[in-house]
Amino acid sequence: MAVFFKSLFVVTIGVALGLFATWFSIEQGHGFGAVKAGPWLGWPRAGTTSADPYARAAISRTAELPLGLAEGLSFLARSDSSGRPLRRECIYTISPPVPAARYWTISVASPQGVTLTNDFGRTGFTSREIIRTGPGRFSIKLAREVQSGNWLPMAAEGPFVLVLRLYDTPVSSAASALKGSDMPSITRGACA
Amino acid sequence: MSFGDRFLGWLPWILAALIIAGIVHLTSILAMPRLATEDAFARIARVAPLHKLTILAGKPDAMKLLPFEDPSTAVAVCRFDLTQGPLRLKGKLVGDGLMLMSFRNRYGAAFYSMTDRGTSRGTLNVVVVTQAQLEAIEANDPEDETPSELRLTSPTLKGLVILRSLAPEKGDYPRAVEELKSIACLLEPAPAGAGVKSG
Repeated sequence: MAVFFKSLFVVTIGVALGLFATWFSIEQGHGFGAVKAGPWLGWPRAGTTSADPYARAAISRTAELPLGLAEGLSFLARSDSSGRPLRRECIYTISPPVPAARYWTISVASPQGVTLTNDFGRTGFTSREIIRTGPGRFSIKLAREVQSGNWLPMAAEGPFVLVLRLYDTPVSSAASALKGSDMPSITRGACA
Repeated sequence: MSFGDRFLGWLPWILAALIIAGIVHLTSILAMPRLATEDAFARIARVAPLHKLTILAGKPDAMKLLPFEDPSTAVAVCRFDLTQGPLRLKGKLVGDGLMLMSFRNRYGAAFYSMTDRGTSRGTLNVVVVTQAQLEAIEANDPEDETPSELRLTSPTLKGLVILRSLAPEKGDYPRAVEELKSIACLLEPAPAGAGVKSG
């Protein structure tokens, strides 16, 4: 009888541990093949048929449809350039460079990927509409109070993520070679 | 009984628990795409009929439907089921804006993707087929003519075509939607002699 209960105990622990490992690995991201460049994380193959099983599992749960390789690359930032988690109460400045692409866009979303809306109807910027101060020079300000230039209004409190998408980019095939210095920097200012 | 003896007694049980954990972990990861009831295909199936281009822009829940979509793109979907016949996607793009096109299997993974630059001068003519349908179409091809359409073999019988049209500036959104409307998604009559064995 002792052996029976011992086996039951072992099986229960094993199943729980296995399911926990599954949950944990899927919460962490989209499997192997992550590209990390500064605060930005990308999974170039997550949306393709060559994705690994972890990426497939993660996508089946979140229901997102990541870009195919020929469409472009998308990157996620959950923290600023010094590694502190992004908070809606803080002011952030996003500065160049941005890797070469036909178009790029930056938008703000909740950690679950729902675009954050605000009373001003601005949820992000595209490379076309950004106001530049010189060739390749711009800055985007994320803040709850009105800012001059490229102001991305924030509302409420709590964590958020930044999504950078590079559309029709030659970088697709060499994403793993991207360094932090190739990607936009995210600098934190004052926090409310 | 010393601590060491007790530990040795438990060791096989601990190992057994770890092995079970590993098997459960790997099985659940591999099974998840098949067991997921709320994946992209299931969500899109609720709002988009088969073989019809459905524009998700303007639907307030479109963003909740598919997380991490770009708010500056208009999205259209076309769901297909190749057991009913091949799917044709055709149209002439009205502008020169950025259009992203991906052809995805039942699990949302793209087996082919391209942009508007991949079309022949803005004209899109793609047919999505099974292996058997492809062979039947090729058997009917004229001898000395290269086909003018792009033929894609889908790894699964069901799947999705996702079109995303970028609105470079906020005011461009209606134009981005128009761009999507210039493309039609149609069920083709099954080519003669094509079964649906493959999938």
